[in-house]
Amino acid sequence: MSKTRCLILLLGFMSVWSAARAQDVVLVANKGVQISAISPADLRAIFLGAKTRFADGFHALPVVLRGGPAQEVFLKNYLGESPQEFRLRWQKAVFTGQGAMPKTCDSEAALIEYVAATPGAIGYVSRISPQDNVKTLVPYK
Amino acid sequence: MYQLGELGGPNVQVDWASGDYKVNDYFGFRAGKVKTALGLFNDSQDVDAIFLWILLPQSVYPADNKSFLLAHLGGEVYGELPLGDRGGKLLYRGFAGESILDSNGGYVQQLAEDGLTFATPPQGKTYGGDLRWQAPLRGLTVGASAVVQALSGTASVGTLQIPSLLVTSPYAQFERGKFYVAGEYRRTPANAVLAIGPEVIPLPEDQRSWFVMGSYRITERFQAGSYYSHYVNKALDTALPANYSKDWVVSGRYDFNAYFYGKIEGHFLHGTGLGYYESTNPNGLRPNSNMLAAKIGFTF
Repeated sequence: MSKTRCLILLLGFMSVWSAARAQDVVLVANKGVQISAISPADLRAIFLGAKTRFADGFHALPVVLRGGPAQEVFLKNYLGESPQEFRLRWQKAVFTGQGAMPKTCDSEAALIEYVAATPGAIGYVSRISPQDNVKTLVPYK
Repeated sequence: MYQLGELGGPNVQVDWASGDYKVNDYFGFRAGKVKTALGLFNDSQDVDAIFLWILLPQSVYPADNKSFLLAHLGGEVYGELPLGDRGGKLLYRGFAGESILDSNGGYVQQLAEDGLTFATPPQGKTYGGDLRWQAPLRGLTVGASAVVQALSGTASVGTLQIPSLLVTSPYAQFERGKFYVAGEYRRTPANAVLAIGPEVIPLPEDQRSWFVMGSYRITERFQAGSYYSHYVNKALDTALPANYSKDWVVSGRYDFNAYFYGKIEGHFLHGTGLGYYESTNPNGLRPNSNMLAAKIGFTF
């Protein structure tokens, strides 16, 4: 096998690997949050406004991205909704006086910064974003 | 402020405004002008952006009286009760307060056509609740609402009295991915009495209304659906078109982007029991009619 073909294969493998990594997101929370794992049901309830506290009783404050691949992956994989369905659900809650729209960040860096500074905040970012100032939460079945 | 044909006007009204304190997920309360929990859509019927439809089923959610039914002055308690991993959860809302007829709405218009013009719109006490079960099967909701409502008002030439009436409304909906189906039944028995001078006019009503609807999101931007809406006043001769309304509807919605959307809707109506006024139909009514509606909306 020539060096060129090896290089092409390697680049191809790296490209597929990166894409697969980008397809998932990391759950992040303020370092003051006591739990280290969260159930899909709790996660869904918190991000859809049905629950305002973590399983340990502490206040939960969901933070979302305005758009982008991480937003779409999170909504699809963890909430089972499209961005449109998510937006309409929150519009209904807001305009019926039953909820306030979650804090929305324009970038993953801004989301990390907000989560790091806000007690109870929980959000998500792509795996490639640095997560030094926040705590990562593990989803469990 | 709204204008719907002859209804509405330039005066600004507060649709709702409330303070809310949620003690925990099981219990919270709000007070002020609170949206009234009744059936699937009563409290969200003014949020056009969330619906495929231009008009919700008029048998249950009449557009000409929307502002009266939408909210009441008073308070509400709410919360949810988890029923375990396999039981889903129960969501409850209970409320009490005062409802006031919209002076620019359909009921007041109808009363004016009957000869009663009010300086102060009729009002009355209301209380009720809503209990809905979010089943463990994700997307399935089954519930029921009940509201007790009274109404009275005094005009220069007479009075309106509606003793407390019980409105009941069971419903169910299922949404999964691109599919949505829902149905609701509502019964409204009322014994209104108009007194105009020496004349006393009883207006018996036993409204039986229901609808079934379904929709499918064909693409991310385009959604289509249909519903059938049925109304009949069982207290009167149900063979007369004036005492029933049957509406077949097809609807489409296109989202141009996250903020702009357009809707188009066809209605095939039988009966004249809902939404018609003498003032706008001086030559009388035909029993059947069709309507095409289009709408552009913006939300942010």
